[in-house]
Amino acid sequence: MINIENLTVKYGGVVALDGLTLTVTDDVMGLIGPNGAGKTTMTNAFSGFAPITAGRIVIDGMNLLELAPHKRARWGVSRSFQKVQIVGDLTVAEHLLAVCDAKGIKRNERVGVIGTVLDFAGISACRDMLGDSLNPYQKRMTEIAKCLIGAPKIILLDEPGGGLSESEMQDLRRIITQTKNRFGAQIIMVDHDVDLIRDVCTSIAVLDFGKLIAFGPTREVLQDEAVKTAYLGR
Amino acid sequence: MPKTVLPPLVVLAICLFVLPLVLSALWVKVVTSAAIFALAAAGISVLFAQLGLINLAQIALVGVGGWIALRLNYATPLPVTLIIAIAGIATAAIGAVLALPALRMRGLYLALVTLMAAGAFQILFNAFQFPNGGEGFWGVARQSAADIRPPLMVQTDVGYLRYSIVIVALCFGLVALHRVTAPGRAWAMIRQSEANAMAAGVNVTFYKIWAFALSGLLAGVAGALLSGALGQLDPRSFLASEGILLFALAVVGGAYSWAGAVIAGILYKLLPALLNDFGVSADIALIVFGGALLHAIMTAPRGIAGQLIGALQRKPS
Repeated sequence: MINIENLTVKYGGVVALDGLTLTVTDDVMGLIGPNGAGKTTMTNAFSGFAPITAGRIVIDGMNLLELAPHKRARWGVSRSFQKVQIVGDLTVAEHLLAVCDAKGIKRNERVGVIGTVLDFAGISACRDMLGDSLNPYQKRMTEIAKCLIGAPKIILLDEPGGGLSESEMQDLRRIITQTKNRFGAQIIMVDHDVDLIRDVCTSIAVLDFGKLIAFGPTREVLQDEAVKTAYLGR
Repeated sequence: MPKTVLPPLVVLAICLFVLPLVLSALWVKVVTSAAIFALAAAGISVLFAQLGLINLAQIALVGVGGWIALRLNYATPLPVTLIIAIAGIATAAIGAVLALPALRMRGLYLALVTLMAAGAFQILFNAFQFPNGGEGFWGVARQSAADIRPPLMVQTDVGYLRYSIVIVALCFGLVALHRVTAPGRAWAMIRQSEANAMAAGVNVTFYKIWAFALSGLLAGVAGALLSGALGQLDPRSFLASEGILLFALAVVGGAYSWAGAVIAGILYKLLPALLNDFGVSADIALIVFGGALLHAIMTAPRGIAGQLIGALQRKPS
């Protein structure tokens, strides 16, 4: 369970997140809102990259803000970035090994762990390919595979569907919906694709100008008049 | 045996068994220096290629390593190889201190900070000189330098050349080991972006400091070897401007492979000596280096080594 209490982030005079309070119990929660609403700021607040001025984030009783950014990752906060972060001269396996190093996965377990996440992400064939030679879909899946290593408690996906084709989106849907069962991690997903959100998220939080304007089961929120006005422009 | 291990072993064998046979006494000394500065350049390359950080103070750290080695050689009966190890480790600690500004800065600003550090060491070396067998902590006497002990079983210049090359090769091996294990992978993640590294659980602070310490270790070992090769050190060898030159040559040689560091060492020590030998002013080398740097920046970001490797890997059509 994720408890966000009165979370406030300020960049100078700009209030990017304004007293956000939210309790997430669903396996997959969507986070939507127009550009500049504070979605990426919220994922950055989880990771420790945003200047938090007030509030707390508590996951399974642990106050996240007490931990340095890399320790949050080791504790169980995984994330992907809007712009994929794949190193050109490392192979896919080396990317995953780097995460194993950081999270202290034992040597004799690594081959198994890496095999499992590669298989789940459907990119076992890319294991020894260099980052530079991957296509955008394979890069995206490598990022997701990185997120799955080391028993994560929560995975934040920042626009995982960006630039994917329809068949690739089907793989992504499968991966997102099966993650909780296979790896035990809750997912918070930022995306603009309403179809993807509708298919995989059981609840949605809607942000606008740093404030929470709606939160609840997916179907109800997408019917909400205030949400349509703010997000869909209707 | 992997393909990448063979070329360095061939070069090592040539350096150990062929060079000593064909070089005259003067050139043995020059090649020894070139090998030693190749090691210093390798330290610059670790920071530049692995983390994109510019360190212009490497030459100052070579001086620090040399100072420590001379000091210990005169003051203690320790074996010379142990002294070299101690000088390397102590310089690594000082290199790690240089990492502190690098935790907050990069690019031009970090380069400026390291240049300031190099300037500060230049002043210290000038003020206190290098130990030459005198009394007291600084160990400087107004006399010609006392002899220092050579390493065990090393009696001649050729022996010292072989000794230096073995140590340089071991240090290159240490760097190669870093690149294919956890530190190399962590550095790659940091190079991509620090946010990316932190989000994967990498301790960015620790691995940046580690990179500076490794770079400092190589500089310290190089300095200690240099003090043994020359018998005494001159503050004028460790000017801040030399630090800029060595950095430029590390880039020209190629920061992304061991061969680049070897080329940097050759350019730094061998080319000026060759020009002298031809009866041309060694200052011409500076002009050549300037041109080579422009060339590297504009057309060969992986340096001469990158171009050579590219040419060798290209299949004949």
